[in-house]
Amino acid sequence: MDQRNFEYMCYGLIAAWGVLMIYVATLIGRERRLKSEVETLKKLIEEKSRHEA
Amino acid sequence: MLYALLIASALYLSRNIYILMLQLPDELAQGPIYRIFYFHLPGYLTGAACFLLTGVFSALYLRTRNWKWDSLAAAVTEVGLPFAIMNLITGMIWGRIIWGIWWTWDPRLSTALLSAAIYAGYLMLRRAIPDATERAKNSAVLGIFAFASVILTYKSNEWFRTQHPAPVLSIRTGGGTIDPAMEMMLGHNLLALAMLATVLVAIRWNQEERRREIESLRREALAY
Amino acid sequence: MIADAWKVAAKDLRSEWRTKESLNAALAVTVVLLLLFSFAFDPGAEDSKLWSGGLLWLVYSFAAALIVNRGFARELPNDCLEALRASPIPPGALFLGKAFAGFVLLLAVELAALPAFLVFYNVSLTWQAGWVAASFALATWGIAVLGTMFGALTVNLQMRELMLPVLIYPMMMPALVAAIEITGASIQRQAIPEIWLRLLTGFDIIFTALAVLLADVVLVD
Repeated sequence: MDQRNFEYMCYGLIAAWGVLMIYVATLIGRERRLKSEVETLKKLIEEKSRHEA
Repeated sequence: MLYALLIASALYLSRNIYILMLQLPDELAQGPIYRIFYFHLPGYLTGAACFLLTGVFSALYLRTRNWKWDSLAAAVTEVGLPFAIMNLITGMIWGRIIWGIWWTWDPRLSTALLSAAIYAGYLMLRRAIPDATERAKNSAVLGIFAFASVILTYKSNEWFRTQHPAPVLSIRTGGGTIDPAMEMMLGHNLLALAMLATVLVAIRWNQEERRREIESLRREALAY
Repeated sequence: MIADAWKVAAKDLRSEWRTKESLNAALAVTVVLLLLFSFAFDPGAEDSKLWSGGLLWLVYSFAAALIVNRGFARELPNDCLEALRASPIPPGALFLGKAFAGFVLLLAVELAALPAFLVFYNVSLTWQAGWVAASFALATWGIAVLGTMFGALTVNLQMRELMLPVLIYPMMMPALVAAIEITGASIQRQAIPEIWLRLLTGFDIIFTALAVLLADVVLVD
């Protein structure tokens, strides 16, 4: 392979993959947050119904 | 299931990287750098398709008032943005080598940046509205306006001279300007990115629906 | 519908005339910005005729953000917006009235600031003055319609003042570019390309139609 702009080609490909990786990471982060939020809320509701009963 | 598809599209992308790095030759005039194009154009097309769908889903939401369309509009816009950014960054790196500058105020570049800004604004508006009904309604209106604005800007583009390279795909040129093996590769990578985008939209859609459930759970939990 | 729209516009203009709050603020901002820009870009420079048209419309777009922000926010105290929604005025007319009031206010600020611009930057707009006037009217209407629409979308937000500029500046770019090109051509005494006027007209028609169509959705439910 020609070496003249090999370096920048790597930057480009890394950037292209990097953007996607970062987005997938934010998706995974949101997934985790959503799960913990659901659990907290479920616990809250359970406690509340026990209180009422 | 979704995650299996996510891994499948990641594998497909890796296979494409392998082929385009090791089996395709360098472009004569540009050298290795031209390989960026395999992400530049497919990224653009995927992002544009996503933003197009934002307008469609927004209109469908206003027509049917079905939450599904609102979540889908949010999902496609958010997924479209990383692809648009991929298009911009790869373009800038290519421009650094071929044009010698990172950025030039060329109409094509400006309008690509502009639509990214508009749809980033759409996502910001969504975050800023606390009430679910109002959020869905107002962002759907914005989605339609953004659609009109982007179409208008691209239309007005044709009146400018541009230094951005002309289209190379056979459907735009009638064939002959691009090597069939390279075009094949382009198609493969477009397919891979589109597949990835579809999976990401599905994941994001599911998250948006769950977020809505959380909102109602929260109301239930905090009501006395 | 036109009569109702006119009533709303007249009401807005009357109340604005009594307080002059957004008029004064927008006018003050335009003059101060023209002054500040004269330090960033030397008005005496040889190429000043190339960019002073763009500078003028940038200043106007800042004034526009101030004015359209007030359009619906004006109705927030005392729940006036609810009263307007409950009134028998059709939403499309209510919207058009608001947009027209914004158009008049913005045009007034533009015309009031124009002499300052012409003097500070030593340019004249007499070349093809008719087309320039038409472009002012068209661009200002487009900006007013778009700004009023987005003002309605963001009126209930806590971060209204922050969100509105983020949304309207990219959206009004086609109108701004066209106005900049036409004003620039007049300043440089060149022929005014017809496409920009066509773009402005198209911009106005598309966004006015969309806004009136969607006013029902935005204002009513």
